Amino acid sequence: MINNEISHESFSARIWRKTLGGVGVKLGLAWVIFLVFAAVFAPFLANSMPLLMSKNGVISAPVFNYLSQEDVWVLAVFFLALFVFRLKIGLGKRVLVYVLGGFLCAILVSLWIKPPVLIIYDDFRSARFTDVDWRIMPPIPYAPSDYLRDLGSKGLEAPLATDGALHLMGTEENGADVLSRMIHACRISLSIGFISSGIALVIGVIVGGLMGYFSGIVDMLGMRLVEIFEDIPTLFLLLTFVAFFGRSLYMMMVIIGVTGWSGYARYVRTEFLKLRKQDFVQAAVASGLPLTSILFRHMLPNGVAPLLVAASFGVAGAILSEATLSFLGLGVVDAPSWGQMLDQAVKSSTFNWWMALFPGGAIFMTVFSYNLIGEAFRDAIDPKLSRNAGVN
Amino acid sequence: MSQPLLEVRNLRTYLTVNGQDIKAVNGINFSIGKGETFCLVGESGSGKSISALSVMRLLPQGIHSHPSGEILFNGRDLLQLDDSAIRAIRGSQIAMIFQEPMTSLNPVMTIGDQIIEAIQLHQAGISHEEAAAQTIKALEQVQLFNSQERLKSYPHQLSGGQRQRVMIAMALACKPQLLIADEPTTALDVTVQAEILKLMRKLQDETGMSMLFITHDFGVVAQMAHQVGVMYQGNLIETGATGAILRHPQQAYTRQLLAAVPENMVRTALIGSANQAGNEPEANQPASLLTINQLKVWFPIKKGIFRKTVDFVRAVDDVSLTIQQGQIVAVVGESGCGKTTLGRAVLQLEKPTSGSVKLDNQELTGLSSQELRLLRRKMQIAFQDPQSSLNPRLLIETALTEPMKVHRIGINQEERIELAGQILESVQLKREFLWRYPHEFSGGQRQRIGLARALVLNPEFIVCDEITSALDVSVQAEILQLLLKIRQERNLTLLFITHNIGVVEYLSDRTVVMHNGKIVEHGATTQVCGTPQHPYTQKLLAAVPRLMR
Repeated sequence: MINNEISHESFSARIWRKTLGGVGVKLGLAWVIFLVFAAVFAPFLANSMPLLMSKNGVISAPVFNYLSQEDVWVLAVFFLALFVFRLKIGLGKRVLVYVLGGFLCAILVSLWIKPPVLIIYDDFRSARFTDVDWRIMPPIPYAPSDYLRDLGSKGLEAPLATDGALHLMGTEENGADVLSRMIHACRISLSIGFISSGIALVIGVIVGGLMGYFSGIVDMLGMRLVEIFEDIPTLFLLLTFVAFFGRSLYMMMVIIGVTGWSGYARYVRTEFLKLRKQDFVQAAVASGLPLTSILFRHMLPNGVAPLLVAASFGVAGAILSEATLSFLGLGVVDAPSWGQMLDQAVKSSTFNWWMALFPGGAIFMTVFSYNLIGEAFRDAIDPKLSRNAGVN
Repeated sequence: MSQPLLEVRNLRTYLTVNGQDIKAVNGINFSIGKGETFCLVGESGSGKSISALSVMRLLPQGIHSHPSGEILFNGRDLLQLDDSAIRAIRGSQIAMIFQEPMTSLNPVMTIGDQIIEAIQLHQAGISHEEAAAQTIKALEQVQLFNSQERLKSYPHQLSGGQRQRVMIAMALACKPQLLIADEPTTALDVTVQAEILKLMRKLQDETGMSMLFITHDFGVVAQMAHQVGVMYQGNLIETGATGAILRHPQQAYTRQLLAAVPENMVRTALIGSANQAGNEPEANQPASLLTINQLKVWFPIKKGIFRKTVDFVRAVDDVSLTIQQGQIVAVVGESGCGKTTLGRAVLQLEKPTSGSVKLDNQELTGLSSQELRLLRRKMQIAFQDPQSSLNPRLLIETALTEPMKVHRIGINQEERIELAGQILESVQLKREFLWRYPHEFSGGQRQRIGLARALVLNPEFIVCDEITSALDVSVQAEILQLLLKIRQERNLTLLFITHNIGVVEYLSDRTVVMHNGKIVEHGATTQVCGTPQHPYTQKLLAAVPRLMR
């Protein structure tokens, strides 16, 4: 009697609608989308070279000559994601196409793109680039590692200081623009969050799914494995690896992923144990469906919801791990990251508020956004909570 | 009769959901005299529980409103009282017992403490010892023996029937004038239900209290009620003395509801099954399709660090049964008797401990899951719970065509969709329903889809596990008629598992009565239900609440 009008939307569509219903989650998503945009288009947003210029009637785009392999790959993968999103195929196939496409892009990029080894940023302010008919510069006309020596930057200029060039967020001790570094640092935070959570999810789903479906001895051994991995202190493991093998972002991603799957495995195991005896799974068994279909078509989609919640919190956790490591001075050297910028702020002789506030605020906002998204997800999945949260 | 104890006048209860008003109770009038039982009967969603909760003023604040109406209890309008006044009446003058005895007791308190608390709350200044003495008396009153020790037991240590007795003891501890019972026996087995109903009648005679009894079961109505009110979509469409309503219903809806009670359906269907029995001389018996021989399903009970098996739960213990082609065999028994496990063990969804199951002379036990997959085509299952029997993430189309694809039925997807559409139509659903998700259907529709899923592989044999017990009686009647129709069209063989004797009498050709994992009686339905031999069957049949006695 209460449900007179029946909705025709699918279960997942309903979850999405409920998740996106709240205000907090919209703000969180907006921030994450903004970060993605900044990360993908960083070389066009903050760089020292002109985006487009016309010299003696010849139009050229110098920024493309200086794109690194990483820049091109990130762009390619971004547009691949948009393309895959439009494809009308199943989710599993989409993921497959995306992963394969990503690898293909990586191979092509490493073969074809050969950026100059050394970039002398002072050149872009020489007559070769300034004495032109017209030119379009990026919104922030400084590269993250452009120390502006030719402009006589002394470093540690406060934001909007009027002597010399304009820096919206000031400069750091070497004289580089803080805002430019902030934009380029988005990449590390986003990629470490997504990739390490992705690794953890894959391992967690496989181990947890096998434990839940087969139970018995498999479950017993699996749980012991989970307990072993839960006892590994990730931060100290990271420190040890940095000490032995040097600093590498990819190593950090793998270590955070490989040690962080135990929570996901527990979730999947519990869901599968519960689903295993559900009538529709029994009906699938009684219809003689193959095991892969039972596991991945009938069980996993019904048990994936709590996993997504855990994953969104996991992303936030991974970002914090990287920030902590960089703050301790053990992060990546060659590219800026928010944690590393915080470290700089502390190490400089005087306290410069702009060097601490902006990266610290960005870390806070990002972690907060992921937590908001995770909570909205959780509330949408739990019908009782979704009523209370007013996101009906 | 003097002034009635409770008089409900033109009561309306509206619930606000998502900003919309739902007229849950739409202007009902009834009255209950002292010592009288008034039964509200109706299907789910008819507003009978909401009416009772309105009387108790137990509806959640903020989402309900009473646009009109008076609830006069001893001449005072309950709707006008403030919270403290209503709290003084609740429990001490009006008490309530609920359907689910599992959840209506606090699991972390002993039952003694719970009853003593209720007594101390309503009788100011009573000492703990006095309250404890009253509690023991109350427990003895509901025939819960060993009451001294029972005081210290926790709810999980009691059976469902015992818990409901505790609930009644708690409700009656303060000697209320009115007891509201919201489906108090629905979750109980039929023999336990009979005891509880008997107990409630006895207590009513002793204390002279009135009862507002809510149920969906006309058998229970016939046993309990002095007056009956039939509810339909928030309206009380018919009230009157029990005998008059049951024998000469005035309203079309009441007639329809009574006709849907399996006991009444039997009269029209008897001719059919009698014919079948007549056409079935011993010499000309059809071939047996399924042979179960000494089947055992034992679950080990493990204890200690080394998980040593100390004993077994004998869910199915030495069951032998032969089912002929085209027959409907009903398995009846109370909860925990092993009937569901038997159904699953036949389909090899539960691995039997020993014994054999032969389908078409093909041995099923001991086959690998690969070999079984090919045979699964011949045998299917339909489930009890309409909520969990369909995968919420898959379109009905996918749920129906995927098994066909695996078993190579149909050349391509278009043909399979066509077949699935035909099968949906044969279970009296629309073809367009293929493109919907399970949550868009009502319980009865989902059960039909569950049947359709069992039928897509064109099986010879279907296990129906309590497929109608979660449904309203009129929907149940439709499903039962549908089953008979499908059986005739496809010459299907059904193993119908149920606890409802009325359904058995209506539907089945043969009946198997199970108790504690064993078959206690087995024979033609007319024989088993007409002249039961085994004492357990006799007890079971006597406990069934009948419309006419």
